[in-house]
Amino acid sequence: MLAPLARVRNSLVLAAALAALALAALAPAAHAVPFAPEQGHSPNADDTTTVYWVMFVIAALIVLAVNAALIAAVVRFRHRRGREPARVRAGRGIQPRAGVALGALAVAIFVFGVVFTARVRDVEPSGPEGLEAASVRTAQLGIEPPAGEPQPLRILASGQQWLWRYEYPDGTFSFYELVVPVDTTVLLTLDSTDVVHRWSLPALGGKFDAVPGRDNQTWFRADEEGTYEGQSAAFSGPGYATMRARVRVVSVPEYEAWLEQQSADIRAAQTAVQQRIQQLAGQGAAAAGQAAEVGQ
Amino acid sequence: MSAPPPASLAPARPEVVTERYPPRRPRWIELATSADHKVVGALYLGAALSFLVLAVIELVLMRVQLIVPESTIISPEIFDQLLSAYGATAVVLFGIPLVLGLIAYIVPLQIGARGTAFPRLGALSFWLYLAGGITLYASFLYRPPDAGVNPLPPLADTVFSPTAGVDAWIAGVGIAVLGFVLFAINLLATLHTRRAPGMVWRRLPLFSWSATVIGYLLLVCGAVMVAACAMLLIDRQFDGVFFDAGEGGSPILWQHLSWLFFTGAYLVVLLFAFGAISEILPTFSGKPAFSHRTIAGALAAIGVLGPLAWMQNMYTAPIPVGFTYFAMAAAVALAVPIGLLLFNWIATLWGGSLRLRAPLLFALGAISTMSFGLTGELAYSVIPVGWQLDSTTAAQADTYYALVGGAVFGGFAALHYWFGKLTGRTMGEGLARASFWTLLVGIHAMAIPMVLAGLDGQPTDIYKYYEIGSLDEYNLIASIGSFVLALGILLTLANAAYSVRNGVEAGADPWRGTTLEWFATSPPPPHNFDLVPDVRGTEPLRDIRESVRRRTETCEPPSPLEQPRAADAAADAPEDSSVA
Repeated sequence: MLAPLARVRNSLVLAAALAALALAALAPAAHAVPFAPEQGHSPNADDTTTVYWVMFVIAALIVLAVNAALIAAVVRFRHRRGREPARVRAGRGIQPRAGVALGALAVAIFVFGVVFTARVRDVEPSGPEGLEAASVRTAQLGIEPPAGEPQPLRILASGQQWLWRYEYPDGTFSFYELVVPVDTTVLLTLDSTDVVHRWSLPALGGKFDAVPGRDNQTWFRADEEGTYEGQSAAFSGPGYATMRARVRVVSVPEYEAWLEQQSADIRAAQTAVQQRIQQLAGQGAAAAGQAAEVGQ
Repeated sequence: MSAPPPASLAPARPEVVTERYPPRRPRWIELATSADHKVVGALYLGAALSFLVLAVIELVLMRVQLIVPESTIISPEIFDQLLSAYGATAVVLFGIPLVLGLIAYIVPLQIGARGTAFPRLGALSFWLYLAGGITLYASFLYRPPDAGVNPLPPLADTVFSPTAGVDAWIAGVGIAVLGFVLFAINLLATLHTRRAPGMVWRRLPLFSWSATVIGYLLLVCGAVMVAACAMLLIDRQFDGVFFDAGEGGSPILWQHLSWLFFTGAYLVVLLFAFGAISEILPTFSGKPAFSHRTIAGALAAIGVLGPLAWMQNMYTAPIPVGFTYFAMAAAVALAVPIGLLLFNWIATLWGGSLRLRAPLLFALGAISTMSFGLTGELAYSVIPVGWQLDSTTAAQADTYYALVGGAVFGGFAALHYWFGKLTGRTMGEGLARASFWTLLVGIHAMAIPMVLAGLDGQPTDIYKYYEIGSLDEYNLIASIGSFVLALGILLTLANAAYSVRNGVEAGADPWRGTTLEWFATSPPPPHNFDLVPDVRGTEPLRDIRESVRRRTETCEPPSPLEQPRAADAAADAPEDSSVA
């Protein structure tokens, strides 16, 4: 009576386990390397990828060891008739030894983390193909290079519900798409005009918050022309999911041409607006009068 | 064999003589007015599991929305309301109360107390929590909160969230957490003053030990959150400027305060699971804990180091880099106590005789699932990894691993373990196994694709995603996984609902436990114990069983030391036989 039931149950368990494995295997199949982060295109993103892989291997080894030990314990020590549990407790010295080993691991991870955090924060100088005017010497984020020194390309990225606005050194600005020259160190200052936003562009370094009233900084030096996609990563209201960002990396001449074109476009648009305002001046007075009547 | 028994023994056999008390008033009045820790615990559990159903429904609805890219099933506004309600429900209305319910019920029994130190405070704490939950959910009648899982100012200010929903969130969470703080006061006073004779701190059962750490954690982190909620409410309603950058306040301040609380809440759930696992593994492997002292020390260390890592959630915020190093140091240092726990648990299983009943199965599932979450946490605590993956679905999957491992697997392990004590009946094994395997498939099928989507840059909390790379596949599988997970949760809830009346009679001690809660009847009488035994080690009930066995099975002449007692026993003997 019981045997068929047990067989059914066992096969159900097996089916469930296979389904889990199949689902788990299906997902990473889409990647060339399973669990690889997005390809980095900036020195700080490359360092981050290194740290990620080191920590991934450590974590995977611990997970494998723990789960293998659990399965081994269940298989070997499952209750059978006549088996008496061995009532053993820890001997002297084994816990301190385990603790010291774990402590050494923790210290190693901490030191590794500090070294690589400093590396990621080190702003490297622009490369040979980069914008010549922007070639900062090695410095750390948050530490201003002296006034006489070559400066990096400074761009202010301003978060607002639900768009990024970029301001270039000459006062030109653009929305959504940031255009930068290749191989050039870009120092990105982040701030917000309304709520907290989080700049996130995985290919060009990590995430940093844009908080009103408090500047934050990050940097990158794109090694290849192309467009890189990102998305704001701090919940900021109903339009949050649409708050994307794009960085278009172009050659230096293209960048300079684009900058000129953009600032000309902005000037032209402003002139057009001015003309329209003047054109509407007469109608505007009438409209204001009407509005006042409606208001009453 | 011939070692003389100790001079003064615990009573010769469990003397439980209480009859059922006739209820004096209708049952619901008894429940609503009782200050008995067992009633309070059962109320906490019932409310927590009800809110779990709500949280599961909200999670499933959000995952339905994310099945296909650029989905329009749910509008962004509704999605944000679900998201905000879900965050508060999962952590404040389900996670912590589930923990507190079991602690309220079990800890006084485990330490051999006849009640808590401040029974009415315990009852008040439950009613505050329930009032908080109702306050939050009543807002669905007018305007639900919509400022996210953690409503960060300025988004939580009246300028950007002018509706009353955020006020309901603040009031609901604030009131509920105030209840938790009062609960912690009662718990700590009980633990400090009501332990059975002989139960010194080093003999405290490990679950009670984790409850002690949880009590201190809630006292600190809970009080901070109550203050933070009050500050945010003042900002919103009385023109305060605590978090207003334009007026000299700081939006970062809210992040510090709220993350300290959320880190504390995360640790409360984990410590609870750690404590329950540390009880269940020895019981079902038939061995004592490999090292009671090390496990207790590790639990205390986690309670101290864990909250210090609150800024681990703020690596991306504009705070000095030294702060982030401090958080990383605390987070990485956690590897030592957590590693010791894992080592001691496996050593406790090793060489035992494992009875693979539902509580052990869920406990093993909890260790396995949490091993993913905790090692992931170790990886994210290294700052560059945090910069890369914080607030992506990868980090969210990691939190799911830890909290589903702790609150769902660990919570269900504890529920199956103590259900017999709470109700007098055990839960069905068949449904428990079905639920276990469903949950195990569900959590991995949900979390692994979320990790992969996060590595491709998908942030959390979004109501839609765009079709980039394989995001659509990942989200589809994650959604299916979340439905499987929900099914597993519902299976156990159904099992519990069915077993309350129809389960197998548990008796006082269904699992051959070693701690004092199994000394009382199931369910225990209002005063818990007719007679509180002396405690002489970490396994008091086993000591009692052994002494009973020695006395009944060996026919050696009593040692001189025992003669007076033996004379008493002889005088009692005729009475016993006449009763029989």
